[in-house]
Amino acid sequence: MKLYIKALKMHIMSELQYKGSFFMSIISQIITFFSYYFVIISLFTKFNNIKGFSLYEVLLCFSIIQFGFAFNEVFARGIDKFDNFIISGKFDQLLLRPKNIILQVLISETDFVKIARLIQSLIVMVIALINLRLEITLLKIFTLILMFISAIIIFFCLFLISASYCFLTVQGLEVRNVLTDGGKQMAQYPIGIFNKGFIFVFTFIVPYAFVNYYPLLYFLGRNNNTIYAFSPLIVFIYLIPCILLFNLGTKKYKSVGS
Amino acid sequence: MSIIEVNNISKSFRIVKKESGLKNSIKSFFKREYKTIEAVKNISFSIDEGEIVGYIGPNGAGKSTTIKILSGILTPNDGKCSINGYTPWLDRKNYVKQIGVVFGQRSQLWWDIPAIDTFSLLKDIYSIGDEDYERVLNELTDKLNLSDILTTPVRQLSLGQRMRLEIAASLLHEPKILFLDEPTIGLDAVSKQLVRDFIKNINKEKKVTIILTTHDMSDIEALAKRIILIGKGSVLYDGSLLKLKNKYASKVNITVTTKDKIRFKKKGLLETTRIKDGYQFVIDSKELNISSFLNYLTQKISIEDVTIENENTDELIVKLYEEYNI
Repeated sequence: MKLYIKALKMHIMSELQYKGSFFMSIISQIITFFSYYFVIISLFTKFNNIKGFSLYEVLLCFSIIQFGFAFNEVFARGIDKFDNFIISGKFDQLLLRPKNIILQVLISETDFVKIARLIQSLIVMVIALINLRLEITLLKIFTLILMFISAIIIFFCLFLISASYCFLTVQGLEVRNVLTDGGKQMAQYPIGIFNKGFIFVFTFIVPYAFVNYYPLLYFLGRNNNTIYAFSPLIVFIYLIPCILLFNLGTKKYKSVGS
Repeated sequence: MSIIEVNNISKSFRIVKKESGLKNSIKSFFKREYKTIEAVKNISFSIDEGEIVGYIGPNGAGKSTTIKILSGILTPNDGKCSINGYTPWLDRKNYVKQIGVVFGQRSQLWWDIPAIDTFSLLKDIYSIGDEDYERVLNELTDKLNLSDILTTPVRQLSLGQRMRLEIAASLLHEPKILFLDEPTIGLDAVSKQLVRDFIKNINKEKKVTIILTTHDMSDIEALAKRIILIGKGSVLYDGSLLKLKNKYASKVNITVTTKDKIRFKKKGLLETTRIKDGYQFVIDSKELNISSFLNYLTQKISIEDVTIENENTDELIVKLYEEYNI
């Protein structure tokens, strides 16, 4: 952890070498990201609910997924762009250092420009929460925090899976997009609004439903089953096979080479 | 005591067979044909502690593959290897603390920030104690003349300055074994000299064992007494550079400056060329002793100046590659 913080500082120093470009990028990020919200808002000017979910309920769901994704883009950039490591041969260098490979990939790259998205998603969440006027209990706050953490973890898992795929074909871009970007687009909405097939995929193959559907139902007071409140914990279990998969990929790399 | 023991290491890669043309590209998209390439086969050698070994061979001979196996990046298909008591591809985290690796063509420094920050990150990665770090850093700064360049962002430095920092970066954790992959590539004469002197120095003072791959024969000449020649994945020669030279480089160029004219034939004299103010002779030093040849000359003509050149090592290596057909 100390190592990671040190590396973060170094990344910030690197970024600040190019001040102008850094701030310009942040501004452009803010603008593009708000366009996402406009899509949802304009959708709701036509229909006042989607399968019973109101605008602010959808926005809450949306902000959680965006937060998880943006968090990984900022702090786990190396895993997101893992194909670069293999192509440039930087992966060889990681193998020469006496630390865990995943940790090393994490500290090798960050993307602070995306921090704009993180802040935006938090703002949207606050707006949604204020307008929802929910009855807040301690357990609900806990659930909300759990949802944010599990959103971070699930995208980390997906990044790991697509990174592992890079060991097979070097460039794993398209598969990643199906899992993360495609999945993200859908998971921004409460998954219950889609048909059964999608719900199945997003529950058992990529467990988005445990991040932002079941706990959301509890949080919104639509379902009072406390199991729903703790359902995001499933995602932590999901992390284990993902790490194993990545380690398997590393082994394979060592026996195949670049 | 040998610190590196390599026993019958083999490594083959399976690669997709590619043929040119769109038709073949489409065909290979659906049905891939693989072919196996043996990058190295049955390589064995042992290296003693404190040795400097030049590992040479033409491009594609298997040099990098060997270095990657020895440094634990690749796992071989077959064979045994023990380096300082470790098998490189097992127990990675502990093993890599024993070695330092410099890839001349790949940087480990962060591009936008001063090298000192990269060093401090490496300190944490290798869990180096404060005192040790301080001591080693001072020593390296001193020997590699780093004090001015440590605090400049790396992207503003010249290639030679960067290479000095690269070498320092790979020595911070005081490895026992150092792998240098083309450390002087692209450097000017002064930087080359500095790097070579430094390598010699750490080898002598700290008994660091060094394996050096390079295409620059003057590196080898300056540093390594022993060379291992590899071609087509096998070890072709393992022994002293001097012996190799004696075997192959028997041709000597002698340039004589004189106003006199001379024409003669002698056993062992291969060529005589008349140049602007003298002659150039090529003799075979095995058949004709250099001093007796000069003796003979001085009796016949008055010599103003004379230079003697051995055939350089580059030519020697070309010959060697030719002989082994690689």
